[in-house]
Amino acid sequence: MKRLIIPAILFLLLILEGVAFELLPANLVTGNSVIIPHWVLIFLVFVAIFYDRANTYFCVLYGLIFGLLIDVVYTSVLGVYMFTYSITIYMTHGLKKIFHANFYVTILLGTLSIAVAEGIINIIFFVVGISDIPIKEYTIYRLLPTLLANFIFMVILYPIFAKRLLAWQRELLHMGESV
Amino acid sequence: MPVFRKKRLFIILCGIIILVAMIGYSLRDRDSLTMPEKFINDTVGWVQSVIHTPVSYVASIFSNIDDIKNTYNENQLLKEKLAEYKSLIYEVQEIKEENEELRNTLDKSDSLRDFNPIHATVTSRSPERWVEQITINKGEQDGVETNMAVITAEGMIGKVQATSEFSSHVQLLSGFDQFNRISATISREEGNDDIFGLIEEYDKETDSLLFKIIDESDTEIEEGELVVSSGMGGVFPAGLMIGTVTDVIPDQYGLTNTALVEPAANMYEINNVIVVDRLLNGQEDVTAEEEDAE
Repeated sequence: MKRLIIPAILFLLLILEGVAFELLPANLVTGNSVIIPHWVLIFLVFVAIFYDRANTYFCVLYGLIFGLLIDVVYTSVLGVYMFTYSITIYMTHGLKKIFHANFYVTILLGTLSIAVAEGIINIIFFVVGISDIPIKEYTIYRLLPTLLANFIFMVILYPIFAKRLLAWQRELLHMGESV
Repeated sequence: MPVFRKKRLFIILCGIIILVAMIGYSLRDRDSLTMPEKFINDTVGWVQSVIHTPVSYVASIFSNIDDIKNTYNENQLLKEKLAEYKSLIYEVQEIKEENEELRNTLDKSDSLRDFNPIHATVTSRSPERWVEQITINKGEQDGVETNMAVITAEGMIGKVQATSEFSSHVQLLSGFDQFNRISATISREEGNDDIFGLIEEYDKETDSLLFKIIDESDTEIEEGELVVSSGMGGVFPAGLMIGTVTDVIPDQYGLTNTALVEPAANMYEINNVIVVDRLLNGQEDVTAEEEDAE
């Protein structure tokens, strides 16, 4: 049963992303700057850093599944988030070996992954023809506000889940060396 | 180690191929979603509607506090308006009755204006802002079909993009491209010609719809004139409010005019919507007639 906790949290975050629009103050939403919640990705980064061992790839698997869910439910262009999230998380998983897992490293890796994911998503949407704004405006109005908002979310989420994910890792993955 | 590198490269290449295939598949003109997509949409849609209730409750508390602040002024204004409306309502009733009588004498009961409203609640909005899309809690089981118009009390907000059994995706006006055209008209008082044209796409820079005018009138378009759907597109009924004219610009050859139309409905605060099921179904009637002829 305990193995289902992480997918359940990810699913909840996925749904909350859809109502995030109502929770945010109206002047943030209607203004020029655009904020995109990447809460699923943030939690995946936590999973990659605290839950996965060096030889397990649960985070990439979850990235594939929940990326596809976001594609189906929110964008109706299949494959974009699936590809982006799994590639980004795979990169984060590789990078975590270099650092020690503490607060600053987590925040840094999280911000980096969001920036990379945003970049890939927008390149894909640009190629497909859905988005068409110049790179400079994109950076000011979309990338920076998004990074800032998600940074705040990350700081809130860190104390809640960092210790717990480590505990779940000890509980669930110590015998699962074969995974 | 080189073997591992090759494997990694191979996986990434496979991923890119799958990505391109999936994007190509989903951007193709498809009539309906596939079974797994419908299943996912319904499952997520159900949980969304469960979660949405407490969230909107909390959100409404804050907006209520805001409302209370200017209740007095609003009340004053509304009282004045109410007096005006009373006489207007009487007038409208008279005209409606007269219209019905005249229709009866003409033996013409169907109208392009008639529609069957399907009330729905918005359960979520896409966090990806390139895709202007909301999810509503009514689907095929309630009679929602692709391409139906979606309105709020203020005016049109979009059209149904895809349907599942118990939920549907609505594409907002602000996400319209040149593939989604609305046949629209500016209605004039007697003596002046009506103006017909097509709403072609949404211009993100000016935050308005581009209304390309086909049938020019002698009198010029003024700011603030109302643009409504004309019902000539075959899908939307006539008389749905779309927006007001904010500016008129000539095209690059100076032959036709394009009006900038500001949508009447607010695209950001949408809670309850009505899906418009047109009673007079143009396209089906045509095919039925063709079959009869054969």
